[in-house]
Amino acid sequence: MEKIQITLNINDKLCEVMVYHNDTLLEVLRDELDLTGSKESCGEGVCGSCTIHMDGKPVRSCLTLAMEAVGTKIRTVEGLANGDELSDLQQSFIDHGAVQCGFCTSGMLMSADALLKNNPKPDEKTVRKALGGNICRCTGYAKIVEAVAHACNPQDDCPDCKTDSKVRE
Amino acid sequence: MSDHTTDYTIVGKRMPRVDSRAKVMGKAKFTADLILPGMLVGKIKRSPYAHARILSIDTSKAEALAGVKSVVTGKDTEGVKWGVFAYTRDQQFIQIEKVRYIGDEVAGVAAVDEDTALKALDLIDVEYEELPPVFDPMEAMVSETELIHEDFPNNVNVHVNIDTGNVDENFEKAHYIREDTYVAPEESYFQAEPYAIVARFDHEDCLEIWCPNGGPHMKSKPLSNAFKIPLHKVKVRKISIGGAFGGRSEICPVDYICALLAKKTKKPVRIEFTREENTIATRQGHAMITTHKTGVDKDGRVLARETTCYMDGGAYSSTGPIATSVPFLSMEQVYRMESVRYNGYRIYTNKPIRGMIRTHGRGFACGLDIQLDMIAEHLGIDPVEIRLRNCRKPGEYTSTKSFVDSCAMDETIHKAVEKSGWKEKWGKLPPFHGIGIGTNSVQTGFPMGIRGGSQSFIKFNEDGEATVMSGVVDNGQGNDNMLVQIAAEELGLLPEDIHLVSADTETTSSDPGSYSQVSTFVGGHAVKLAAQNCREKLFEVAAKVLKVKPETLAAKNRLIFVKDDPEKSIPIRKVVRISLLNFNSVNAEGGYWPKVDMKREWVKNPYGQMCEAFSFGTTIVEVKVDPDTGQVEVLEVTAAQDVGYGINPLVLEGQFEGALTMGGQGGMLTEYHDWKDGRCLNPTMLDYKLPLACDMPKINNIIVESIDPKGPYGAKEAGMSIAMSAAQGYSAAVSNAIGVYMDSFPLTPDKILAAIKNKRDQDK
Repeated sequence: MEKIQITLNINDKLCEVMVYHNDTLLEVLRDELDLTGSKESCGEGVCGSCTIHMDGKPVRSCLTLAMEAVGTKIRTVEGLANGDELSDLQQSFIDHGAVQCGFCTSGMLMSADALLKNNPKPDEKTVRKALGGNICRCTGYAKIVEAVAHACNPQDDCPDCKTDSKVRE
Repeated sequence: MSDHTTDYTIVGKRMPRVDSRAKVMGKAKFTADLILPGMLVGKIKRSPYAHARILSIDTSKAEALAGVKSVVTGKDTEGVKWGVFAYTRDQQFIQIEKVRYIGDEVAGVAAVDEDTALKALDLIDVEYEELPPVFDPMEAMVSETELIHEDFPNNVNVHVNIDTGNVDENFEKAHYIREDTYVAPEESYFQAEPYAIVARFDHEDCLEIWCPNGGPHMKSKPLSNAFKIPLHKVKVRKISIGGAFGGRSEICPVDYICALLAKKTKKPVRIEFTREENTIATRQGHAMITTHKTGVDKDGRVLARETTCYMDGGAYSSTGPIATSVPFLSMEQVYRMESVRYNGYRIYTNKPIRGMIRTHGRGFACGLDIQLDMIAEHLGIDPVEIRLRNCRKPGEYTSTKSFVDSCAMDETIHKAVEKSGWKEKWGKLPPFHGIGIGTNSVQTGFPMGIRGGSQSFIKFNEDGEATVMSGVVDNGQGNDNMLVQIAAEELGLLPEDIHLVSADTETTSSDPGSYSQVSTFVGGHAVKLAAQNCREKLFEVAAKVLKVKPETLAAKNRLIFVKDDPEKSIPIRKVVRISLLNFNSVNAEGGYWPKVDMKREWVKNPYGQMCEAFSFGTTIVEVKVDPDTGQVEVLEVTAAQDVGYGINPLVLEGQFEGALTMGGQGGMLTEYHDWKDGRCLNPTMLDYKLPLACDMPKINNIIVESIDPKGPYGAKEAGMSIAMSAAQGYSAAVSNAIGVYMDSFPLTPDKILAAIKNKRDQDK
């Protein structure tokens, strides 16, 4: 099998890369482009650790061929922050203790980011449903759900939200 | 308790973890993310048979394949066997004579890429002579077929016998006696990160290795033994670790195989496990058949207990003697018993290897608590009351003679009872709606001989920041942050001023690892002492400048100041520079070795001080069961643990929530392995049902602080007592909801429906 050259739009940059027809997007991101934030945990589309955005929609990069990504806009966890400036969601994950081992975190963030883009103030049930395709073995999800629900909607009674009133204190 | 004050600046606070920024940016590197120049891909040839003699292995075709750089078999090893103890060394790193489970390591390949390595595996011809396998531990003990290990008669790998005396006499005195048997199959860790290893030999012939581990020093010694090279030549490096839960405690044969391939090829080699390999060829939790016979007086106090447990150990010893003991130890720690006799048997079978796990002995512990509930019902006592009457109190000795210093067992019960609304709910809930309680205790440490202690070094840099060196490893639970918090608190710095060098065997001293729940108690303690020693040096210099006595000083927020006159102060950075100008660097060391009974041994002498502290947990669970489907809806879980002291409540809550998800929600409702002829039928995340965000109930966390006199700031273990008590709470709640005391775990819908049907038939 011959490798062919394709161009992918990843995190607003055009990347030329040589791939096999059967290379998954996850393999290309990790092995060719050194974007190792996306993880392989189950390898069969169950755990969500490899979730990335394709044209704004969360998809499993382990089940997506690199060839299918041609002509789409890909965003990975590495593209969530603006340089060193974290997104509200990333900061919320840190503040709420939503990160333990961190292996599922990238996929969680990508699923949650897609949710918040459509619904910045989701209720708990909506968050839990939106994260239903991401397996976390460390946290029991409680802090992750809180981090997502409060990311764009800080709560005064949450000890871990950096609300304006607390900053003033 | 002299050490205890609430006047801390950094410990005791909800501090976001230092490692989380790199993780939310996708920058944290895990083993499989590493790419080294010239790196090869390694793969493992595994046994397709559960029990077979290896007649021959022909690797010539694989070696001839273009792109294959090395093929190794058992003949290439130094013949050193692995086992945690001298008397349990039963596992070759690559099998040479026979294979003992489906998945046993037979050969390793290093090639230029994964496809080539996989092709090479197919080209290795192994000729086997199949032997009769045994899969059931009870059959294995009476089987007359070839033993799995010839020097272990009846396939009994480990027998732990504990007898405190007077058991039979006390049964005579008992007002009520029950004997019941409980069973649970194997469960798995399903760490998010599949196991992976990168190994290379450097220019000085030192082995450098990266892999998930429960303690880097627990990896380096066996590797130094296996390669017959000095300890300093094995450099286990720090890397982000995607969860452990007990399953990364020991060396894995593939650590050795990966390093051997690196040695042969003189190239770095990376081996990534598939999800199936992670399930089959690392470790699993033991399946158990446990019989508890309990005799109580008329008030429900336990006079005598006899417990016999048969554990399916799989093909090799692993941590066998420890694993055979821990379920018993948890029982004797949480409940007082006038007398007790325990016989734990770990049996070899032709199944994957079983080791340590966070919810160790769910069948054992849940059975114990279910039986206690049965006794309570018989005597007309509330389940809470019977626990309060039997639970551990501070200042007592366990049955095997461990002194229990700090203990707030009863406080965890009282607080969980109050928060959960137990009194309003128990006995008053509608049909198929239930509530249950579980209580447990976990040891903060095991006797680990010369590796039981930890030592830390701290050096100040001229910019006033400090580098802290510690052997403690972070598997995801937040140990790095714990060390930084402690160092910052003691040195008077901010967390961002602490640079942590940890979990690297070249630069850090020996440490027991996260194994046995001692990271804070031992490793954190060592950092605290090192920081205090370092602070003393700073105070001596500062005292001269400020013209006061060192003991009048305190440090906070990068300043050293006079306690009674805080305006009188000097920046720590300046103190460091003054010290350097006076020809003195500012550095210090500190070490902590728990005073355990070094003569205590798991099999030969299971008596004496086990560890210095014990944690205690209570979980109360409220559920609804659908009588038509057997589905359990969990409404609310309340988890209370005596953690000694909460160094970081934010992290602790995360430990509680994760623990009860694994131990209770998963461990009691959905998680178990299914088998056919020694083959695991559900090794993947698709087939093995892990809890999801949408499954989880409301969780109430209650941190109880007993301020252990030996622990740093009074801290002990956190989380594992919740994982264990959650399993018990879940099983009790479901039993309460359906009105049937369950004896087979986990409580899957099929078992629940059968129990409901049985009860209906009987009630007719």
